[in-house]
Amino acid sequence: MEVVERQGNYLTMSIGPQHPGSGHMRLIVTVDGDIIVKVKPDPGYVHRGAEKMCEVRTYIQNIPHLERPVIIDSSGILFAYILAAEELIGVQPPPRAQYIRIIMAELNRIISHMYWLSIYGIFMGHSTMFMWPMGDRELFIDLAASIGGTRVTFSYFIPGGVRNDIPPGFKEKALKTFDYFVKRLKEYEKIYFNNPLVLKRTQGVGVLKREDAISLGVTGPNLRASGVASDTRKDEPYSMYDGIDFDIPTYREGDSYSRAWVRLEEMRESMKIMRQVLDKMEAGPVKQPMRGQIKGKVGEAFARTEAARGTMFFHIVSDGGKFPYRVKISVPSFRNLIAMSHLLEGNRLADMPVIYWGLDYWPVEADR
Amino acid sequence: MSVSLGRGIFDAFFASIKSLFKRRYTLRYPEQKLDLPDGYTFDAKTQVGSPGVKGRHILYLDKCTGCSLCAIACEGIADCIDMVKVDGTWPKDKKAIMPQIDYGRCVFCGFCVDACPFDCLFMTPEYELASTDKRKLVYTPFQLGNLPEKKGLVEFIPDEKSGAHHA
Repeated sequence: MEVVERQGNYLTMSIGPQHPGSGHMRLIVTVDGDIIVKVKPDPGYVHRGAEKMCEVRTYIQNIPHLERPVIIDSSGILFAYILAAEELIGVQPPPRAQYIRIIMAELNRIISHMYWLSIYGIFMGHSTMFMWPMGDRELFIDLAASIGGTRVTFSYFIPGGVRNDIPPGFKEKALKTFDYFVKRLKEYEKIYFNNPLVLKRTQGVGVLKREDAISLGVTGPNLRASGVASDTRKDEPYSMYDGIDFDIPTYREGDSYSRAWVRLEEMRESMKIMRQVLDKMEAGPVKQPMRGQIKGKVGEAFARTEAARGTMFFHIVSDGGKFPYRVKISVPSFRNLIAMSHLLEGNRLADMPVIYWGLDYWPVEADR
Repeated sequence: MSVSLGRGIFDAFFASIKSLFKRRYTLRYPEQKLDLPDGYTFDAKTQVGSPGVKGRHILYLDKCTGCSLCAIACEGIADCIDMVKVDGTWPKDKKAIMPQIDYGRCVFCGFCVDACPFDCLFMTPEYELASTDKRKLVYTPFQLGNLPEKKGLVEFIPDEKSGAHHA
């Protein structure tokens, strides 16, 4: 924490961009004693020009690059890109490929939420809640790595399907892991979510009202914690989400505590989705083979998916060449950032870590 | 969602004390290594890969024709493959050029494997590539031609009681 300037009785300081907890992003905070008066988020420290980079790379070469903004949820960001790119290239993935994509996306959602949960725990000084989710996250990384080959950046979705089939024995291993993890989540509730100390730290802290959440344009679990049952998987079903039965966990309170619960419940729902998909999957091809240079037809396409942090939107314009003409990414983290200054103002400085990480802001995703 | 203070504290302590009697979670890494499945391969005929670990590459020197499609595939991604001259005579590779991979840059996406039309560049589960010298990260075609030795013996077996069983 670095002190910048002093005006009257207020103290302005910047938190970040090398803060060990905030990620690579700066918050310019004005405090009156212990109370936060004004917050100005200053994103852009890790801006890498991912959108511009897409314009000089082919549709395939973009895949490993587009994972980099949010490696923790790499399938979540790729899903939207692939859906938009497929529309331009003009390929339709086989049903089995679409089911495998859902498995990967949901595995990645759990991996991302577990990472979030462990950091949320350590931000409140709860070291056990840092160790446990990090350890259990390893099981889901193992599952995803057995499909995708690497631990975080899988580069697994390609236009026309997925790169390889799931390995033999995946279903048994996955179901065993889910059985274990459902029990484990009950322990999480005991040690953390129903812990009176955590309740004191989070309940009523950073309340985002339903009307504010809608007018600020918040997405994802943060919106659902404010009482809006909005989920792209249900609202505009893409891929094979149409035929899958799952609930949207919604809480009315809109505080940091309910934002934590939404994510916990979402992990349960993700496992429910994967169980159904593993039953529904039938043998068949996983990819529509494409040979030679892949070119998109003249026009534009967009796709909206539900990533771990909220709605991920891709808009691709093609001029008929082998490179996309323009790629525009609308990321959930940036939209949730707008709510941050709204929530922090008027709260105590000690509540900042809880509110900050309760929004699950990922600076690299927001900066792109 | 709401519990009494005493009940909440008791449950939290009880849940954590229970974990004292569970099996160890972590792996003693340098002594114990994970038993990883085979590496990622790609069938050029069907254009579908096989599920596998994306680690260090293996280059089948006798099958490589020096077409440099792997280097072209890598151009916009990591730009880590260079086609270099190799000693000796190669019946399939008249120009005697083969890929040399810089693991300081490689992102292990495996698109070079997908690009190879002769099934000669695959991936292996070898992941311990760290080196104290940056130059040692550049693997020549002959180094890539060696199959890595299998090291791992331990496997994660999740069951209902404990997350990680090592067998």
